[in-house]
Amino acid sequence: MIKKHIFIIIILVSCFALSQNKQILYGFSDIPQALLLNPGGKVTNDWYFGIPLLSHIHVNVGTTGSTVYDVFANDGRDFNLKLQNAIYSMKSNDFLSINEQLEVFSGGFKIGPSYEKDKYISFGLYQEFDFIGYFPKDYAILAYEGNQSNINKVFKASDFNAKAELISVFHVGYNKKVNKNFTFGVRGKIYSSIMNANSTNNKGYFITVDGTNNFYDHIFNLDLELRTSGLTSLTGDNANSETALKDIKKRLFLGGNLGLGFDVGFTYQLNKQWMVDASLQDVGFIRHTKDVENYKVEGNYVFEGVNPLFPETGTGQTAEDYWNEIKTQFEDVFVVDTTYTKYTTWRPVKLNASINYAFGEKTSQECNCLIPDGGYQNAIGLQLFAVNRPRQPQLALTAYYYKRIFKGLQAKATYTLDSYTLSNIGLGVSANIGNLNFYVMADNFLEYQNVYNAQSVSLQLGFNYIFKKHED
Amino acid sequence: MFNQIFKYYIKAFLCVLVCVSCTKDVDFNQFNDLQLTPVFESSLVYIDEPANKFLVNGNETSYLQDSVNIDFFNDSFVVDHLVKAEFLLETTNSINRSFIVEVDMFDDSNQLQHRFSFSSSGSPDHSPLVTEHLEVFENDALEALKNTTKLVFTLYILPGEPINENTIGRITLKSKGSFYLKIER
Repeated sequence: MIKKHIFIIIILVSCFALSQNKQILYGFSDIPQALLLNPGGKVTNDWYFGIPLLSHIHVNVGTTGSTVYDVFANDGRDFNLKLQNAIYSMKSNDFLSINEQLEVFSGGFKIGPSYEKDKYISFGLYQEFDFIGYFPKDYAILAYEGNQSNINKVFKASDFNAKAELISVFHVGYNKKVNKNFTFGVRGKIYSSIMNANSTNNKGYFITVDGTNNFYDHIFNLDLELRTSGLTSLTGDNANSETALKDIKKRLFLGGNLGLGFDVGFTYQLNKQWMVDASLQDVGFIRHTKDVENYKVEGNYVFEGVNPLFPETGTGQTAEDYWNEIKTQFEDVFVVDTTYTKYTTWRPVKLNASINYAFGEKTSQECNCLIPDGGYQNAIGLQLFAVNRPRQPQLALTAYYYKRIFKGLQAKATYTLDSYTLSNIGLGVSANIGNLNFYVMADNFLEYQNVYNAQSVSLQLGFNYIFKKHED
Repeated sequence: MFNQIFKYYIKAFLCVLVCVSCTKDVDFNQFNDLQLTPVFESSLVYIDEPANKFLVNGNETSYLQDSVNIDFFNDSFVVDHLVKAEFLLETTNSINRSFIVEVDMFDDSNQLQHRFSFSSSGSPDHSPLVTEHLEVFENDALEALKNTTKLVFTLYILPGEPINENTIGRITLKSKGSFYLKIER
């Protein structure tokens, strides 16, 4: 029953799709959480701590296929017709992706000799949910039409491709300013998987072809697997909400299936105005050993109907043998095998890189001269983002404009081309009131006119307490 | 302090949502209108027998019969969603004898639910003669199908030129079912 529910939920969810690009936050060095995207980024504070549970809230949902509005608009059109249009217009590479992060706590501080504190340690714990589901097109067509109008059509088992994980990440980062041009950093991560479900490597097909002995041969060649960890104990017969909550809390603090990973990155100042940086995030794995339950359907079978007069031929096979053989063959293919084999998942690796040009030095109103070390007030640049996904990497290219509006208020506007849309405009601001820092950023502003019609929406916000010795 | 921050946060969040987002009218209740009407086709039974199969210990038998136990039609999913079914049977006969193909459908307690039959004419010159029969299951017949757990196939051979080991020709039967489903919320 539970298995059935899981399958249904995954199929429903995978009819839509979301992403992990944080193009506005990347390189926004006024915000401490920018160090999570590039451990080798510039550090502008002496120490900080994130306001617990409020320091970084991130949600990103995106679909490359039909939107909620396409299907559910209250426009008087027949729902089934709209659904049909959605099914036929989407491709099996269309996806829904959802990424959510919540920082539980975080902090950072400079270390080094008092005359030159050139190293920075940052740490924290955050929770992350990540889902990607591709549109199971062939399954949808089979459920929608049946096989009658699809004789000789290959229904690909690989069209079912989805994964979901809920993890917590404990991390410690080290950032070092080697000289005035070069900064690098690494961040070690311990992952604790709270729940995981994935079915990304399905193979085989189902096809109906004209037969020889009968009208049709139905050919089943299936190799499907759904792997789960952390779900059985929460959904099993002995589970109740109290113990489940306890369990989840324990897993949040390193009590789940554990994994290791790292981030690495650098910043290089080419000259006074030009700067490049790059980072790799989440190069790592999680080993699922506890609470594992996998479901597998595997086998080959060609069904051409049955021959009721077959028995008692010269082969010595009895009628009972004949029926048992058919039954066994059917069961071999279609009965779901449950296994408890441990497995390893890889985190989706993310690449960020950018080239930046700063301009517009601050002038003093008193002397109409440049303030020494006042810094540039504007920057423009190009950023590249890539994330490794089950079918193919997702890419995004961003152009941005950054401005320090006045002391304690910075803003960044972005224009992004990605899988979802070619007109993604984003905006982020970071404001300091005393030592309290607040930031909020969102993208796809053009689509907020009708959120249900949005291909993707992302939002990040947070509060930090930041301490700087030298305010600029 | 914390409450204050939390209020700010809520306000900011609402601000972002209210200022920049609006929604056009969507109606998720439309999901209740969901209706899928797929049609699945499946091979059913097949027979391919030479004329001399009708000899038992050298004597001609008047029929061949066997049964198939099947728990597909009374499956709860099928019972709930099957709105129509068709069986297409096709015989190819090259024996110079006519046949009656009869299908009897029984329920769990061996009560006859439905019966249909058709004849397949003999082929005097042993050229393959094709006969088709379409049995449509709607209304009462559909209910009978949904009670069925056993199919009995009988091939009656009608009187004519006696069969011996050297009689030429064979009779084949192909069959498929078309199942019209209607899946609604």
